[in-house]
Amino acid sequence: MYLKKLHLRQFRNYQDQRVDFIAPKTILVGNNAQGKSNLLEAVELLATLRSHRGSRDRDLVQEADAIAQITATLERQNGISDLSLTLRRNGRRTVALNSESLRRQLDFLGVLNAVQFSSLDLELVRGGPEQRRSWIDTLLIQLEPIYAYILQQYNQVLRQRNAFLKRRQETEDRRQELEELAVWDAQLVTTGVRVIRRRSRAIERLAPIAAAWHASISGSTEVLQVKYAPNVPLEQNHPEDVQQAFLEKLEQRAVAEQHQGTTLVGPHRDEIELTINETPARSYGSQGQQRTLVLALKLAELKLIEEVVGEPPLLLLDDVLAELDPNRQNQLLEAIQDRFQTLITTTHLGSFDSQWLKASQILAVHAGKLLPQT
Amino acid sequence: MQRLPGVGPKTAQRLALHILKRSETEVQTLAQALIDAKQQVGLCSVCFHLSSESVCEICRNTNRDSNTICVVEDSRDVIALEKTREYSGKYHVLGGVISPMDGIGPEQLTIQPLVRRVSQQSIKEVILAISPSIEGETTTLYVGQLLKPFTRVTRIAFGLPVGGELEYADEVTLARALEGRRELD
Repeated sequence: MYLKKLHLRQFRNYQDQRVDFIAPKTILVGNNAQGKSNLLEAVELLATLRSHRGSRDRDLVQEADAIAQITATLERQNGISDLSLTLRRNGRRTVALNSESLRRQLDFLGVLNAVQFSSLDLELVRGGPEQRRSWIDTLLIQLEPIYAYILQQYNQVLRQRNAFLKRRQETEDRRQELEELAVWDAQLVTTGVRVIRRRSRAIERLAPIAAAWHASISGSTEVLQVKYAPNVPLEQNHPEDVQQAFLEKLEQRAVAEQHQGTTLVGPHRDEIELTINETPARSYGSQGQQRTLVLALKLAELKLIEEVVGEPPLLLLDDVLAELDPNRQNQLLEAIQDRFQTLITTTHLGSFDSQWLKASQILAVHAGKLLPQT
Repeated sequence: MQRLPGVGPKTAQRLALHILKRSETEVQTLAQALIDAKQQVGLCSVCFHLSSESVCEICRNTNRDSNTICVVEDSRDVIALEKTREYSGKYHVLGGVISPMDGIGPEQLTIQPLVRRVSQQSIKEVILAISPSIEGETTTLYVGQLLKPFTRVTRIAFGLPVGGELEYADEVTLARALEGRRELD
């Protein structure tokens, strides 16, 4: 897929900016805080309706305005699509595809696919499990858009069940509420098992690709394992068995849940283990080795999306290329070639291969404005 | 005017200007009608549908099948179902759905009176017609559990709209429709 045009209005620090992408690689160069990452964030929002920076919509709209708009023209094998996302300071965002507004945001997902790679991604190795859950969820949304709905349903049940447990702590007569608890349990299990099974399937597909990339980048000296460690044991893959295990664990933790007034069992407590040579990656090796790991994960995402969707997704490299050593840089660039349209941000062009610069479109970013650079 | 549901600032202004333009008697009739409605309309003591009498017209109607009860969230749902003229049983209005986040538990709804109704009368079937949101689904499961010992409990089907093309249905609706598939008769 190829992103041809992007138009940002009142988005972040862009007042009204159009971009035409004329080469498979576009380099956005500029000092810090000029708007390079904001542009990538706009593309990420079109792809996933999420921002890895965790921004709220009100932060995305320029201060003096009520709405921000991101529109884009995308070319895919089956034709050209116009995407439009409207963000509101106060109110819900709306999406439109080919000038027709969509009732469900779900239908907007999967039109544009992109893999985001920023320096924040090192948190995948160093950060807590919620970082890795959010990562696999964002990937799943692109692989199977309906997952966005599944996850939303689970989170809604979780919120309601937590509110119920909180309220239950305050009441005297607990027997009467056992029936309601049973229903919330059933709902948590039904929606939770869907999340668990899809996460498990995605990681199963991703793991070998990531391991292969890792072996290739590190020169086969290290073995990377990506392993799903669900909070609910997942020995068998039959939905009924997982449901049974889920219910049993809820029963085991019932007293603790009552005591703490919150849900302690379920995929919101899942972990994804990253190990190198059977040692947890977090405690293993240097920053460089951790970078290699993240790079392998990102390349695996890229390949997996391509495999599932049938077209190469966009790659958004936010300030990471310069941080990689020449060897890893080359590995990455070789993997991308011209197949994956790539948007790159950097503060200086010095660290790039000159051959490479020649083939790229270079745009200077300054205070929310883009200028072509020759 | 703007405090009315579904009315924004522009519509509110239009309504206000419209009322000002009308004759005084006309406005008086409208105002009186509003007051009368507020004073006279209460809830039916049997099914909790809106009613100006202590027992509503539907509950009093002897031509209707009193062995079947259709359970809905809200009086609006009764009105919608009545428009179809396809249902000839009785109703029961819950007055909402279970939602702990909004402080609504079973005791805030008319679930106990429903259980009493079903356990004390000879009810052949209870049809649960509650929207398929997380909260609606939870309420359906909860009420179903309580009523099953007394009678046959069914729920309405969810899926493709009539006249809709399969290829235009969204994934979620299709998945639901598949879930609720049934034997071809």
